[in-house]
Amino acid sequence: MSTTTEETAQAESAFLELHKGRQQSTQAPEAVKELNQAGIQRFELLKFPHSKHEMFTYVRTVDTVATPYALAGPEAVSKEFIESASYSACEQTRLVLVNGFLNEELSNTEGMNGVKVSGLSEALGQAEVRDYLRSGAENENDVFASLNAAFFSEGIFIDVPADTALKSPVLLLCISTGGEKPKASFPRLLVRAGRGSESNFIVKFVGQRENYLVDAAQDFILEENSCVGLTQIQADLGNSRHFCKTRVRQKKDSRFNLIGSLSGARLARDHFECRLQEPGAEMSMKGVTVLRDEEQAHRFIRIHHEAPHCVSEQNFKNVINDQGRSSIDGTVIVNQGAQLTRSDQLINNLMLSDGAHADGKPNLMIFADDVKCTHGNTVGQIDGDQLFYLQTRGLSREAARSLLTTSFAQSIIESIPHPEAVADLNDTLLKKLEAKNG
Amino acid sequence: MLEIKDLHAGFEGTEIIKGVDLTIKKGEVHAIMGPNGSGKSTLSKVLAGHPDYEVTGGTVTYEGKNLLDMEPEARALEGIFMGFQYPVEIPGVNNSEFLRMAYNARLLYKDPDAEEIDPLDFEEILDAKMKLVEMDHKYKERFLNDGFSGGEKKKNEILQMAILEPKLAILDETDSGLDIDALKAVSQGINRLISGENAVILITHYQRLLEYIQPHFVHVMSAGKIVKSGEKDLALQLEAQGYDWLTAPAT
Ligand SMILES: Nc1ncnc2c1ncn2[C@@H]1O[C@H](COP(=O)(O)OP(=O)(O)OP(=O)(O)O)[C@@H](O)[C@H]1O
Ligand SMILES: [Mg+2]
Repeated sequence: MSTTTEETAQAESAFLELHKGRQQSTQAPEAVKELNQAGIQRFELLKFPHSKHEMFTYVRTVDTVATPYALAGPEAVSKEFIESASYSACEQTRLVLVNGFLNEELSNTEGMNGVKVSGLSEALGQAEVRDYLRSGAENENDVFASLNAAFFSEGIFIDVPADTALKSPVLLLCISTGGEKPKASFPRLLVRAGRGSESNFIVKFVGQRENYLVDAAQDFILEENSCVGLTQIQADLGNSRHFCKTRVRQKKDSRFNLIGSLSGARLARDHFECRLQEPGAEMSMKGVTVLRDEEQAHRFIRIHHEAPHCVSEQNFKNVINDQGRSSIDGTVIVNQGAQLTRSDQLINNLMLSDGAHADGKPNLMIFADDVKCTHGNTVGQIDGDQLFYLQTRGLSREAARSLLTTSFAQSIIESIPHPEAVADLNDTLLKKLEAKNG
Repeated sequence: MLEIKDLHAGFEGTEIIKGVDLTIKKGEVHAIMGPNGSGKSTLSKVLAGHPDYEVTGGTVTYEGKNLLDMEPEARALEGIFMGFQYPVEIPGVNNSEFLRMAYNARLLYKDPDAEEIDPLDFEEILDAKMKLVEMDHKYKERFLNDGFSGGEKKKNEILQMAILEPKLAILDETDSGLDIDALKAVSQGINRLISGENAVILITHYQRLLEYIQPHFVHVMSAGKIVKSGEKDLALQLEAQGYDWLTAPAT
């Protein structure tokens, strides 16, 4: 039997091989290939995590990386499948990425009033964009994000001009097609929100057939006084692997509001990194996770307060049944000089079975003296007094239990500003609870 | 309607209710007063079936049935309503949806072949009842008691009672924390309920409530027992003299 170290070393060579072959055959433009090269170099330095890696304290990735993948191409997807996963409010603001490749036929950008959508390769013509992505790839600290940089071939750039307000949310549908043999895809998104602009995005991950690895990366650059809302829905198929790194950079007085749901998978891991770079920037992140069977979902979060007068708020609710595993490793870093920082972080876990497992590590690193920061992590079962209260109103114990469980998750879901996404999650994410309770 | 005989109950081995006898007939209003910690809330929770409290002796018969054998929801469906001294906050549960669920549970219990009420029809009932307790419509869409002020929570209890139309209401300090207008509204709600067929147990510290609702009997609870029972003027006497004259010899 091979050791973990040998296994990861083999996996690293496998990915290097895959990359070599791809660099020779790909049609991607030079500018993209250069970035890919920077990505793979970073990958070689970072390497896959061993058991004690500080970024993967609660996550085992060995069997994920040791799986032999082929690169997924821009395969065909039926219109019906797209319709079932889409929202009608986004009919004219829809971008469909199949295995990371933009499918123009299934996309519709008519409603994007003035917002520029282009391939990343095109955007790389702008020095600013090129420098940003390049330094991002060279300084990457997450090995899975470095793999994305190494393998992405197209990606999307959304440029919201200054003082523009986008009426409808932009839906980015990330579809993995899966198949007989395991396939890997690398969706890539870059959003620049111009000064004083207002825009909303829904990024949704779904799978057509099982057996895939989706390794995504997305960046949101918020210029002064801009406002960006992001609803992220991870709804991958059960035995898939999902990775996503989100980077947010916020300028003066900008606001970023994220609500993310994780439905879990064989392995799902979200890495979120936000830098509040100038005074008055505010961010809020809410998350809901519902797991059953042996599903896993992990969050790794780093919020950097780099300027004074910034606010960050985080609130997570995880419901874990059966043998599910969840973790949240989240640190708020308040730099020296970032006075009058306000930061709250709250994690609540609701455990529905003895085999369920939740790790929570909310953490604060404060290098300024005038700050107001709180953090907390709770792990609990259903509250007996709440259960009793509902029973005294005539609800059966089972009905009361089910109501309390779904409402725990719903308190996050209901705060999503897009009714169709709320209905979608009420139908899908919460169904997972009913099936077990019923 | 309700007959409590020599009831003993406690919490984790500590006896709190130490032999309570109480008989309540249809159409009666009973007020229970008594010092803090005397066991009034515990008694009401035992009657509602809270699983944390253990009954160690005595019997409770409700409409000819052994109440202590019934699950909390069965007691509720059979017509017992308890208004909590500290109503529980349940974030995430929509107030009006919850009320509709409770209404439907009752409906289907009475007639298993009945259909659930049409949401729009329920809305009408709800609007009328909210008007009755002078509650603003915005509370419909709030989460159940979540972030409600003390008085708002109490009004919400009365709203639930008005919707569920219980046979026996046990109201634990529903008057505490209410301003005078709210108190009048709540009293009206209670008075409408006492329509000959129903009965009410009012747990209160204040004579004030009893100006709006005429109790047939007033009981004083002390150290887990009912130490004195009388009529309406007992409440006045208690307000003037306190409990010391009653409780001193008990210990
Ligand atoms: N769950 C519990 N755990 C521990 N002690 C309890 C519990 N419930 C009741 N007690 C104790 O039992 C006694 C009676 O409490 P109870 O709440 O019934 O009093 P009360 O008469 O309602 O008082 P108040 O007028 O303050 O509402 C108190 O000493 C209380 O501390
Ligand atoms: Mg009490």
